[in-house]
Amino acid sequence: MATDLAVTNFPLRLIDARQLEQRYRDVLIPGGILYDHSGHARVLPRYFYEVTSWAQARDTHLSRHFTVSEFIHTDVREAPPLRVFPRYIPCATLLLAFALEQLRDEVGTCVYIGANGGYCSPKHKGTGGASPHCWGTAANIYRIGDTYLDTPDLIRRYASLAHELIPTVWTRPLGDARMLTDDHLHIDLGYVLSLPREAPGETHNLKLAGDPL
Amino acid sequence: MSIRVPRRPPVPSLRSPGELQGRFAELEELSQARSLAVAISDFETGHDFAYHGDRWFHAASTIKLAVLLGVYGAIHRGDLLPQSRVHVRNRFLSAFDGTPFRVRVDRDANGEVHREIGRTLRVSELAEHMIASSSNLATNLLLDLIGLDTLQRTLVELGLEGIDLRRGVEDEAAFDHGINNRVTARGLVGLLQLIGDERAFSPEYSRQMLDILHRQLFRSGIPAGVPREARVANKTGDISTVAHDAGLVYLPGRKPYAIAVLTEWEPSATGRATTIAAASYIGYAALVGDRVDGD
Repeated sequence: MATDLAVTNFPLRLIDARQLEQRYRDVLIPGGILYDHSGHARVLPRYFYEVTSWAQARDTHLSRHFTVSEFIHTDVREAPPLRVFPRYIPCATLLLAFALEQLRDEVGTCVYIGANGGYCSPKHKGTGGASPHCWGTAANIYRIGDTYLDTPDLIRRYASLAHELIPTVWTRPLGDARMLTDDHLHIDLGYVLSLPREAPGETHNLKLAGDPL
Repeated sequence: MSIRVPRRPPVPSLRSPGELQGRFAELEELSQARSLAVAISDFETGHDFAYHGDRWFHAASTIKLAVLLGVYGAIHRGDLLPQSRVHVRNRFLSAFDGTPFRVRVDRDANGEVHREIGRTLRVSELAEHMIASSSNLATNLLLDLIGLDTLQRTLVELGLEGIDLRRGVEDEAAFDHGINNRVTARGLVGLLQLIGDERAFSPEYSRQMLDILHRQLFRSGIPAGVPREARVANKTGDISTVAHDAGLVYLPGRKPYAIAVLTEWEPSATGRATTIAAASYIGYAALVGDRVDGD
């Protein structure tokens, strides 16, 4: 007799963001395009997990030590519909949590993600172009244990550790100019799209292939 | 009252501005301040008074009054809510050349906001820290959030003159290049009049600003020069060469008055708070009558 090993108790509902109300689609831009600073087009996530309350965000683990709440802690710069629940996180946020877990295990203490330092929508006022924060695959770490990462030496040290532990990870270069960092460690996995098995398949229609929605 | 003004002829009334100016000139000389300016506006009688009221001073932390007004302007426009959350991050761009700078915790009157770095605080919490304990970090966060242009526009729209908001606080690069916030005594009194008259956007928002000002922790200036039964909603400002205080004074049985006392000093000078308190007392006595019981 076959046993259903595929059953998951992950509490967050999988959402095809193209089916959400217009006000959410306007700010999540599911499957839309953003351009990175080199001018490359990047396709935004279409599938998200729905978070219905702060209690659920706080109680739902994406990895052993990281909860959803740490990735959705944004401020007034986030687009208005996403400042209240339900909130949405791209499915790839799980992969980021797993990557950060490697760092957490190595340092043996808490790794803190700053406000606006987890998932940010494409309409977040701090988002410029195709930031991996819009894919849920970037984290701004401002503190590890009791140490604030606000000096070049500290940022360099933990960036080096991240590279050692997580192959292909990208860390933002140090510096005080735009696009550089001097008060946190930015880690990202790039533009990862995650498609869980339970996600409905694509309906490919050549006539609609160019239609964003 | 904690301040003792030397026994001398009664303080002239506000209705004798020439004589009252003489009294402030005397105080200016005795205190050895480089400069003293005072402006008063009495809501009870409608009388105004100024001694060097249009002289510009480095604003120090009194500029936070303008930022507070700008915060409520943004709330009034619907851009913010008092409960809106703001990322506490200690990184700002200089008004001079855009280079990043930070607010040093050892130069900030309030370490509480620094402890929240990486997290968020509400707009209302930041506004209270900015005024009550004069947090520089809270000030720059609010200024950064609303934008210098927007704040300046708000002051213009409200018709406020004598307040020149040009940058955040602790912006050393801007300071080194002469880009400074400036105020006049008359300008600060004009701002306080808006709040005291409940004309700052709406009566409700004016009262909210007043509540914040009433939570002021620094009380050695204007509040020290008036009787204990007075309630004072004030904002101080101190750097090495200036010491100011501006506030609304509420006395039992009469409408309030707004007063600003601005002073400039040699860096090594002493007696700043005493001088501001003495000016506050003269202003009080000119309106209400001289007290001889405390002499």
